[in-house]
Amino acid sequence: MKKLLNEFLKGIIRENPTFVLVLGLCPTLAVSVSIINGIGMGIAATFVLLGSNIIISLIKRIVPDRIRIPCFIVVIATFVTIVEMTMKAYSPALNRALGIYVPLIVVNCMVLGRAEAYAQRATVVNALFDGLGMGIGFTLALILISAIREFFGSGQILGQTLFKGFEPASIFAMPSGALLVIGLLLGFFNLLKNRKAQ
Amino acid sequence: MKEMVRYGFILALICTIASGLLATVNSFTKSKIIAQAQAEEEASLKEVVAQGERFEAIKSQAGTIYYRVYDKEAKFIGVAFKASGKGYSSIIETMVGMLKDGTITTIKILSQNETPGLGANVAGRDFTGQFTNKKDLTKVQAITGATISSRAVIEMVKNKAEEIKGLIKDGK
Repeated sequence: MKKLLNEFLKGIIRENPTFVLVLGLCPTLAVSVSIINGIGMGIAATFVLLGSNIIISLIKRIVPDRIRIPCFIVVIATFVTIVEMTMKAYSPALNRALGIYVPLIVVNCMVLGRAEAYAQRATVVNALFDGLGMGIGFTLALILISAIREFFGSGQILGQTLFKGFEPASIFAMPSGALLVIGLLLGFFNLLKNRKAQ
Repeated sequence: MKEMVRYGFILALICTIASGLLATVNSFTKSKIIAQAQAEEEASLKEVVAQGERFEAIKSQAGTIYYRVYDKEAKFIGVAFKASGKGYSSIIETMVGMLKDGTITTIKILSQNETPGLGANVAGRDFTGQFTNKKDLTKVQAITGATISSRAVIEMVKNKAEEIKGLIKDGK
């Protein structure tokens, strides 16, 4: 039980996909302009990660090593398409807000990275907890980045303007701002880690 | 050689299962997706011409699609149409309501992907509200820092409105 909890927790801090493994930065840069987008993207990616991790660890014995990448991509693409169709049918507003980034989860290297580095060697239960933990870690990282960008870039939090007379620096809402924020956060987390190691 | 056949077989098997699964999900969601799109279109029609009760889709000879709007007494009161054009970084799509004398009732941005915090503000009430009850769109103020996106919306609404006005004058 403790081991499972460990599998789950490692994705949130110790092996956070965004800040420690530095995987899947492209969608992170693109969607993190508002907290709502960050949460939506995080939930969609978590679902895909969970599904693909489970299936890949189930089929690990029948997939030969040399064709594992196309097999994994088919599995991941299937889950992404399911997510997209479900979103369109039941939550068209969220689907519109996330736009192209939902189909792009297929090429999010975080999902393939977990399949390669973990799920293809793990038991189903371990893979499930790993996927869940990584997904939540990704979601939390997205929320942190998008909160900073939304606040400084458009002066709002969750679409609500906080103070009057605060002039937002729109560079934070642009792609260059995303790189700045992610770079500074990465540096900050590394600083913390090095301090702890000493 | 034998290996290759085995690889092909396994990959084909996985693809078959995946497509079977997708076909199942599709059969559940397809009708729902179409219904959602229709409901959304109807809701946005209702939103741009609030007095409208019945909307009739018309296709002109040039292929322009617009809606004739009738009120409760089945009287023709105006039109609703979609206008779209290039903004700063995306195609902006707008739904416009117009009375038959050419006064804009309301506009609504259906889709856009402009710079968040700047151009994306064209979808906000502060900007779209300026179109309400206007005939002359030159009085609409562009958003500071988002001149290109604002101009694009003003231009596309103006041009399309002119075109539709011509069409309803001809009684088409």
